Amino acid sequence: MLPSGLPEIVADGEDLARFLTSSSQYTARMAKPAAFLPAPKGRETSVFRHGAEPADALWAIGERIVAGSRTIHGAAVVKAGDVRASGLGVFAEEPPPRHATIRGWPWRDDDPELQKAQQKELAILVASEATLVWRFP
Amino acid sequence: MLAAFPITPSAGYPGLRARGRGSTAVSFEAEQVDNATERVERQRESSQALFGKKAAKIDQLWALARECADENWDGTGAAAIEIGAVLRTEGFLRALPDRVPLPELAVEPDGAVSLDWIRSPRRLVSVSVGRGSRLAFAWLDGTNRGHAVERFDGETVPGPILERIEAVVGNGDAALRAP
Repeated sequence: MLPSGLPEIVADGEDLARFLTSSSQYTARMAKPAAFLPAPKGRETSVFRHGAEPADALWAIGERIVAGSRTIHGAAVVKAGDVRASGLGVFAEEPPPRHATIRGWPWRDDDPELQKAQQKELAILVASEATLVWRFP
Repeated sequence: MLAAFPITPSAGYPGLRARGRGSTAVSFEAEQVDNATERVERQRESSQALFGKKAAKIDQLWALARECADENWDGTGAAAIEIGAVLRTEGFLRALPDRVPLPELAVEPDGAVSLDWIRSPRRLVSVSVGRGSRLAFAWLDGTNRGHAVERFDGETVPGPILERIEAVVGNGDAALRAP
């Protein structure tokens, strides 16, 4: 058991929230694929093991850990099983509490553009399964 | 005949229209001038509308560049947007044929710019514009998906990218543009 009380293995049925800090990361209908692409340094995408409800708890995590001086516009919520179905991995990584990462993104130092194309295809798959949760509906 | 109506440069299209309509002789030629003038004016207005949309999109791109100018703009370790990617994206937008809807813009965690044509969550094309001339793109079209890389010379949008966009969102249908 992790300090947060969650199991060490992220179950397929668990919700993962990716916080959205820029209006360019989503449309009225969906989170854009770019919202799920990995950060170049860690080569992973940071998410939190939390669904749309309870909303207060979700936004509290966003404010406390991600926001800083930024505005949390909303979150893209996706099932861990859907992420895995696209060929990526989901791993618990605390602290901070409830934190997890999406890993296994294609990485090709010999061809960065091909690497990006491969990553985008996977990010599109993940984004297409995600539900957009508005913070200020 | 058109040549029968002298057009001064300062008169411009309104001048041409006035010449056509102001004629007291209701001749076949005058009618032709009037029709031609209307056509020219419609085309001019149409290009201004299209240019206006592109100009607005380019403004949006630069606003995004300002928003994502610092590292960690997303709170999870994203790199700052690359100025080279912004300039290349501007070139790409200018090079897009007028029949193609303008894309949604986003910044990617590595500082590249993402251009997205989204018809629905399961029908979309995403093109990544970085510093270099090779553009990564990927698509989902129902159950069909894939990715590829094409070279952009700064002037002409690569055919395979255009074909993919048009296959997913169609030609110039404003209703298909993401809000």
